[in-house]
Amino acid sequence: MLLNELTIAEARRLLDSGEITARALTQACLDQIRSLDGALHAFLEVYEEDALQEADRSDARRQAGQMAGVLDGIPLAIKDNMLSQGKACTSGSKILQGHVSAYDSTVVAKLKAAGAVILGRTNMDEFAMGSSTERSAYGPTRHPRDPERVPGGSSGGSAVAVAANMCLGALGSDTGGSIRQPAAFCGVVGLKPTYGRVSRYGLMAMASSLDQIGPMTKTAEDAAMILHVIQGQDANDQTTGEVELFNPKWTESLKGVRIGLPKQAWGMDGVQEAVRDATLDAVNQLKNKGAEIVEIDLPYADEALAVYYVLMPCEVSANLSRFDGMRYGLRQQAPSLFETYAASRAQGLGDEVMRRILLGTFALSSGYIDAYYVQAKKVQTLIRRGYEEAFKSVDLIVTPTAPTTAFKLGEKTNDPLAMYLEDIFTVSINVAGLPAVSVPCDNNGGMPVGLQIIGPWFDEKSVLNAARHYELAAQKI
Amino acid sequence: MAKLARLDLGEEKLEAVTKDFDSILPYVERIQAIDTSGVEPFAMPSKARGWRQDRAMEVDDYTRELILSNFPERSGDLLAAPGVFETPKK
Repeated sequence: MLLNELTIAEARRLLDSGEITARALTQACLDQIRSLDGALHAFLEVYEEDALQEADRSDARRQAGQMAGVLDGIPLAIKDNMLSQGKACTSGSKILQGHVSAYDSTVVAKLKAAGAVILGRTNMDEFAMGSSTERSAYGPTRHPRDPERVPGGSSGGSAVAVAANMCLGALGSDTGGSIRQPAAFCGVVGLKPTYGRVSRYGLMAMASSLDQIGPMTKTAEDAAMILHVIQGQDANDQTTGEVELFNPKWTESLKGVRIGLPKQAWGMDGVQEAVRDATLDAVNQLKNKGAEIVEIDLPYADEALAVYYVLMPCEVSANLSRFDGMRYGLRQQAPSLFETYAASRAQGLGDEVMRRILLGTFALSSGYIDAYYVQAKKVQTLIRRGYEEAFKSVDLIVTPTAPTTAFKLGEKTNDPLAMYLEDIFTVSINVAGLPAVSVPCDNNGGMPVGLQIIGPWFDEKSVLNAARHYELAAQKI
Repeated sequence: MAKLARLDLGEEKLEAVTKDFDSILPYVERIQAIDTSGVEPFAMPSKARGWRQDRAMEVDDYTRELILSNFPERSGDLLAAPGVFETPKK
């Protein structure tokens, strides 16, 4: 097996036993990037020299009998919206072309402190708005199985980097499904932690009450390793919880675990047959592992997409007002200050971003704010209550991650609503703030399909445990 | 809306966006049919442990230089920007 094909857990064992070096591991990833990324475009920038230097330092630590942490020497990729001091960071947008990060995001600082090797920054839909990575201002990323197809989005670059073995793991961000959906499309594991589990300090904000950073990996165990490092309360992000730290707990079976299938999700039209078959089969596998499967009712789950497409644009319109051509990024000089703002933004921001800013501006404007924003916040309360109720009778909830497999480039770009519907199973999770993972299903060699496992607030350990049992049952690990 | 959002869209884009709204708005408007009487808008429980002091921070030279180098237009260590009250010359 090639070193870049290892999982993080396997690499950890081989590094610690001295059988492999971090340099060889990093070099294998860099070689894979060189051979595939010209065609796939998962990376916007590769830090070849820095990565090898970090790898050498990691090897030196091991020689000296020291270890920085569980990710010491592990090559990882970071989505282009998480700041890394001294490195360019553009959120996939032209308005930030040339912008260099002045400080480290908390997650990157933690990965560096843990000794991880950062390989580079990965491609994404502009400002994380999209479900295909086609909205990147720097060109799309292509699916490793079929380059005429999208990898999903907005964390498409990270998903492909993992799926194509260009790294051992990556960080993505998820506001409406942007970790889970590309993970499903590309056949990798993608975890969105509970809102408040991981600090958003240094993550370019999209919708501050919905955004979360999470791991994209080859296995659930690897995701647990990364989450363990990046989690934690942060004084720089007061939305991080004062909660018990996440520690993985791997059980012998799923006996005693009750899994709910929401009838709203499973009874829906518009789910591709390949997705339905693969996910139903996966549910059976969970049953074989001892889980009890029950049907549940999630009232208001059907309204979550509409709620999301009001709340998210509202926050986006506020968060993106800072991109005005003044302190950083593109400035399109015009006769007056107002015109400079307007011209810089029109020049530097893509169509989807402008669409969402306008939608948000509208929904927050006087005369409309009660009917749109305030009403959406009230329905959000109802959606959360729905999940609270459901978790009184089940331990986990399971749905398909996305209604389709990876579609063709260009297929949905002319129909914004059709693109938004890709998120139908993922958005309610962000609206409720719950943890959820997408785990790749057995699908007879067709395009990858993801199963979404949702847990109660701050119960990532049950979510990942179930994911791992599925991996064992489907003999993926 | 475009003016409020400080976006100079131009005729063509303005038309395209208006068309998009024609399909997106009716979809999100469905939430208006939901009975939310007596329901509070969701607000995250406040975790603020008091207000932070507003104070100027010292940063190291490297960080400082990175911040300054991002300015699109610079005048020494100052950010150069069009005047707020400048009226455009006709």
